[in-house]
Amino acid sequence: MPQLVPSLLRQELARLAEEDARLDGRGRWEAREITLETDCLYNAEGSAKVTMGGTIVYAGVKFELRTPWPDRPTQGSLMCGAELRPVAGRKYEPGPPSPQSIELSRVVDRGIRESGCIDMESLCIVPGEKVWGVMIDIHVLSDQGNIFDACGLAAIAALRTAVVPAERFDVGEDHKLQVSSTPIMASFTRAGGRFVYDPSEEEELGGDERIHITLGDEGHLHSLQKGLKGVFTPAEFAEIFDEAQKHCVELRKLVAKEEGN
Amino acid sequence: MGGYGDVQLLRDDGTRLDGRKLDEMRPMKIEAGVLPAADGSAMVTHGLNVAVAAVYGPMEAHPRKIQRQDRAVIDVRYNMAPFSTSDRIRPGFNRRSREISKVTAEALESVVLVERYPRSKIRVEIEILAAEAGTRCAGITAAAVALADAGIPMRDLIVGVASGKIEDTVVLDLDKAEDNYGQADLPVGILPNTGEIAFLQMDGDLSPDEYNLAMEYNFKAAKEIHEIMVEALQRRYEGGEA
Repeated sequence: MPQLVPSLLRQELARLAEEDARLDGRGRWEAREITLETDCLYNAEGSAKVTMGGTIVYAGVKFELRTPWPDRPTQGSLMCGAELRPVAGRKYEPGPPSPQSIELSRVVDRGIRESGCIDMESLCIVPGEKVWGVMIDIHVLSDQGNIFDACGLAAIAALRTAVVPAERFDVGEDHKLQVSSTPIMASFTRAGGRFVYDPSEEEELGGDERIHITLGDEGHLHSLQKGLKGVFTPAEFAEIFDEAQKHCVELRKLVAKEEGN
Repeated sequence: MGGYGDVQLLRDDGTRLDGRKLDEMRPMKIEAGVLPAADGSAMVTHGLNVAVAAVYGPMEAHPRKIQRQDRAVIDVRYNMAPFSTSDRIRPGFNRRSREISKVTAEALESVVLVERYPRSKIRVEIEILAAEAGTRCAGITAAAVALADAGIPMRDLIVGVASGKIEDTVVLDLDKAEDNYGQADLPVGILPNTGEIAFLQMDGDLSPDEYNLAMEYNFKAAKEIHEIMVEALQRRYEGGEA
């Protein structure tokens, strides 16, 4: 069933934008309360739970032994999948993966892959014969806005705390997965005509286009995505890019703190 | 049931490998109202199992052909997360989860006052985040608490509970090893107030006497679990902190 965007909500978002205010009382660049918990699922080799306001996401890392691609005999592989199952909200329907969930998976995947935080060569066990396949599965349990950032954060936190189950597969000793950096995503949605950080469900419903920026440890860009109908100016991007840098630094500290525990 | 190999599941002193007595269940924790997006929700942590249930509705039933003129339909999806087991599960439905979804829906339809909501649909989503034997029962228990949390009228709660047989001995609540190497498993859904049974499955080999003992264990445990369910709902609605 297509969701009807109430024009009243759009009007209200526009009115609030003029006063530089938001529906839930936040500042334009202010995040909701974030919690991160790792190593929280028994059977996953790495796991994380992220909450951002009323949004709840779990990520779990699993490993499998596989034969490498013939053209890359010394490289393992990484796969990242996000499921938007009907548990996540009233608007989600059962069925094969929707375009939305495929976009979500691929944007999170690109941010992690392109940052180079996992050296595919380090996943090689026997060149040409045996390599590790790393699979990150992300499960959205409650969508109240900005699932992209929640999924990105859960994925990298689960990876950074993952243990390679080598003993179970009889290929050496268990060891921590090598993850050399912490790519972080920051997302913005145009609500009431201007961009806001960490959009709520209402802001997504009554808003326009969204922009997702994934940044590495040095502040380099690793993935960008513009979604939904709408256009933006370079000046608008410059403004949100600055904000993305700040938020990514903060979230990276949160991951480091959780790892220290 | 597997029932293969010579794996020892009972110690010489008669206790189980994890130290439990024969009629002792793994620790259980229940929390109601865990998912802000849902109309009702619950999380059940039972031993190493983690089951989450979300309830949406009652809502319009569509497509129209699934509507019932005189009652609501209950649409249950039991799903195991890819990372919930030792070997990763490919996302999507398989025959096992379809069957569990079907019989769970029928069990819930037996307690929900479905005739109050003609032509509508109640969605129950059961997600297993960690699986170590006993997830269908944890899912039923979570679904019952989530339905109550959503304020949907029911004749009674349902408690999911299982007993089984290992080394020719009846035990309550099989864990992973006991399930893999045991001889029988008897998961049931019990209405704690009326003592009726709304969910029943069994596989393996049980004598009539063993069946009776396993059911006795199940009913005893259902009382315990029922208290934990009620406490979870009270914490949620009476504002009392745990």
